[in-house]
Amino acid sequence: MMTTDLTLTNSLKVERAKRNLTQAQLASMAGITRRSVNAIETGRMVPSVLLALRIAHALDVSVESIFSLDGVDTPIRPSE
Amino acid sequence: MTHSEETSNHENPLDVFQQFSRRSMIAVLFVVAILGGTGLALILSPEGAVARSSARAAWLIPLVIVTVVVVVQSSLRKRRWNPASPEVKAIMQDEWRRLNLDRASRYALIVVLAAQWPLGLLVGFVSGLPAVRAAMAMATASITLGLITFLMLFLFFDRE
Repeated sequence: MMTTDLTLTNSLKVERAKRNLTQAQLASMAGITRRSVNAIETGRMVPSVLLALRIAHALDVSVESIFSLDGVDTPIRPSE
Repeated sequence: MTHSEETSNHENPLDVFQQFSRRSMIAVLFVVAILGGTGLALILSPEGAVARSSARAAWLIPLVIVTVVVVVQSSLRKRRWNPASPEVKAIMQDEWRRLNLDRASRYALIVVLAAQWPLGLLVGFVSGLPAVRAAMAMATASITLGLITFLMLFLFFDRE
């Protein structure tokens, strides 16, 4: 069994910059607010699956290409 | 792309509505502070200066509220706050906003609960009010404190 200390990292800012989009433009495309985009980019918010899918759809990429898990796997022994 | 380019797009309808939502919260905070403060002053000291002033100028309160509403409404620049519009829906269902509302309400509840003991001591013993007025003062103070804390924390969490 494995347990993990995982943090979500994202390359939203990079993906947005590649397309030359402002936060407001991306927010408008994804039907969310600019503050949400800003909060995700700065790592202050972990988006829900639904929101992650909407952003990925707006950028026409897969969710995994924007969001990834960054953590250290910590093996633990099973209790039995 | 500079930070100012990203943050100063005020012609975006979503931004206009979001600013409106924030200004509305500030207006509510202002109104709650005035009404709560006046109510508390009336309960604590019915013959005091605040009670006399508010009795003379009671007509000012609805006037102030209407003025605040008109001023906040004018910041919409001829747009309408329509709950069915996609922009308003996006704001109302915004995850970052909901997260901040949850955080603010959680902390406000903690503040109100933590304030009960000192408030009870202050109102019940120090002020020497009769039981009914002490209970009213406690209720008014708790509601005002809770609302003010909630609104201030939300505005803080939801800042740019």
